[in-house]
Amino acid sequence: MDFHVDIGPQYEGETIRKDDMYVEFGGPSVKNKFELVTLKSPGEVEHEKVDVIGPDIKDMREGSSQSLAIMVDIAGETLEKDMEPVIERRIHMYANYIEGVYHMNQRNDIWIRLSKESFNKGFNSLVEFGEILIFLFTSELSAIEKIAVTLITDKKKIEELLPQAMKVYQARDERLKGLREEDVDVFYGCILCQSFAPTHCCVITPERTANCGAISWFDGRAAYKLDPEGPIFEVQKGELIDPVKGEYSAVNQEVAARSLGQYDRMYLHSAFEHPHTSCGCFQAVLFYIPEVDGFGIVHRDYQGFTVIGQTFSRIAGATSGGKQIDGACGMALELIRSPKFFQADGGMHRVVWMPQEIKERYKDAIPADLYDKIATEKDVKDVAELGQFLDRVGHPWLKGEVSLP
Amino acid sequence: MTTTIVVAGKGGTGKTSISALLVQVLSKKGVVLAIDADPATNLNQALGVDPGSTVGRIREDMTRDIQAGTLSPSISKPDYLEGQIRAALVESKGFDLLSIGRPEGPGCYCAANNMLRMSVDKLGRGYRYVVIDSEAGMEHISRQTTRDVDVLVIVSDPTQRSIRTAADIKGLIGEMRTRVGQIALVINRSPDGLPPEIARAAEKYGFGSPLTIGQDPNLAGLEIKGRPTTELPADSPLRLGVADLVARLGL
Ligand SMILES: Nc1ncnc2c1ncn2[C@@H]1O[C@H](COP(=O)(O)OP(=O)(O)OP(=O)(O)O)[C@@H](O)[C@H]1O
Ligand SMILES: [Mg+2]
Repeated sequence: MDFHVDIGPQYEGETIRKDDMYVEFGGPSVKNKFELVTLKSPGEVEHEKVDVIGPDIKDMREGSSQSLAIMVDIAGETLEKDMEPVIERRIHMYANYIEGVYHMNQRNDIWIRLSKESFNKGFNSLVEFGEILIFLFTSELSAIEKIAVTLITDKKKIEELLPQAMKVYQARDERLKGLREEDVDVFYGCILCQSFAPTHCCVITPERTANCGAISWFDGRAAYKLDPEGPIFEVQKGELIDPVKGEYSAVNQEVAARSLGQYDRMYLHSAFEHPHTSCGCFQAVLFYIPEVDGFGIVHRDYQGFTVIGQTFSRIAGATSGGKQIDGACGMALELIRSPKFFQADGGMHRVVWMPQEIKERYKDAIPADLYDKIATEKDVKDVAELGQFLDRVGHPWLKGEVSLP
Repeated sequence: MTTTIVVAGKGGTGKTSISALLVQVLSKKGVVLAIDADPATNLNQALGVDPGSTVGRIREDMTRDIQAGTLSPSISKPDYLEGQIRAALVESKGFDLLSIGRPEGPGCYCAANNMLRMSVDKLGRGYRYVVIDSEAGMEHISRQTTRDVDVLVIVSDPTQRSIRTAADIKGLIGEMRTRVGQIALVINRSPDGLPPEIARAAEKYGFGSPLTIGQDPNLAGLEIKGRPTTELPADSPLRLGVADLVARLGL
């Protein structure tokens, strides 16, 4: 193929400053923008077709910011729907392969710059941009049998199509939230907090966000790629010793090494015996209430006293420091949504108290029949009242209706 | 190859003025990333450009979105931050400016700060020079900006107290950084050359021979009019001093 500009991975690190740019598409000042890959049936894709709807680069004012939608339709026998996001991410990679093209972000947040230099070399049409994308997609991904690219610069048209794209992104997020520990080969570990808690090593899995709530499994993967020598690293799974408690042989080895031998076993999904350690910066704490044999949850922003008469800071103080403490675990609030949320101990069905704010925020993650049976600061003031409340509402854990897995 | 220059020193000694002139001189040789690591954010004024958004603002927004659970799970935070930082850059002729802004409030920011530092590091690698104007204390930049420093410029006024601060900074930054190249001491606003007492102190604390810059008569006028430091005339002592510094450091 003959193009006006050079193509290759050597251009990936290249950035384009405002001084050197001919036009930009998307970015902070432009609302109408997105990129989307859609898998279609072979009959629906006219192979190697490039459509440009709206003004082309040569019709644009130098230095201006423009709307853009990149729509890539693909077909192929071995392609599957859930490959769409991965293939879509390749737009970022391939666009950056083009000399004088700089692509950032993704989805409805894209930001693309074209350099004056490449424009002056004759790269002045989006048709060529589409042709290069097609060339790279087909030469790098043989599973793509047919591909067509539509590039839209017409603001109105993009505005019309954007809500549909947003729906697709949302549906993908929902699917991603369903990623399980079983689906991945590797977990991530984080020792950023070891300056405060020298024996603490956070283990991050698709079903266990880091205690601080800031590092999901996907973030761990990205951070590790960016800085493989850094404080976020890969943790192998090894052998699955206990699927309910969440004990893995290689995780045990890793945390033993990282904690300098302080502990050598870790249950990812139980608060007892060998629970996960806590740093100092967890978003919330899960704490055991012996009088009712259930758990309370309290988060950092909760100002008052919990049902056991202690504040968040008091409970957090006793939990933090990188030690394994029976019945006390620092945690991310998102953990409430995890299907493995303290599953070995009864999970959400063993939770008897949490602040009203958290209960409302996570309403969708709490089983409907349980929702009114979890007490908050509005219902009870102390453990004695809690006992009465749980009796009155018939909390399933206290009634013995919950069987442990 | 990127050359990273950190300008540090006691409060009010001339860090920001010197940083601005450094950015201006170096931007004629290669593209510069100017980082304002002082929460007071006044490097933009000295350079005569808009303030732009700040890294602190980005961190606050992200932390809020994490709390609310509104960040998409499929967009990794390092990727997200890279775009946000790009958007916070003030792009000008020959240089870009990034302001760090206010430090974090209570709560935990280990993860956010680590990811921000990685993103700022990565951003810096795209420039020929990175010039960091630091705040008087040093803890702040240690967390959020690049680990390796090629040149550490410590600015002092001709007082024993300020020189001692310079020595403290030299010790501290040596502990924090993985690598520090050259260290240069600048004695700024010294009316009649280098006083022998100051020269002796500099030697005692292990600095090479310091570069001395006199009192600049043109600065006050610019400050009154609110004009940027970069408008200093060509024969201004501070401008000549900075040119001297650049030559001496072989930048
Ligand atoms: N050589 C000089 N001659 C005269 N005035 C100077 C000289 N250098 C700096 N100044 C003035 O001293 C004041 C402080 O300078 P500047 O803001 O650059 O210092 P700083 O170290 O960045 O201060 P801060 O610690 O508050 O950030 C300014 O008003 C500046 O114009
Ligand atoms: Mg200053």
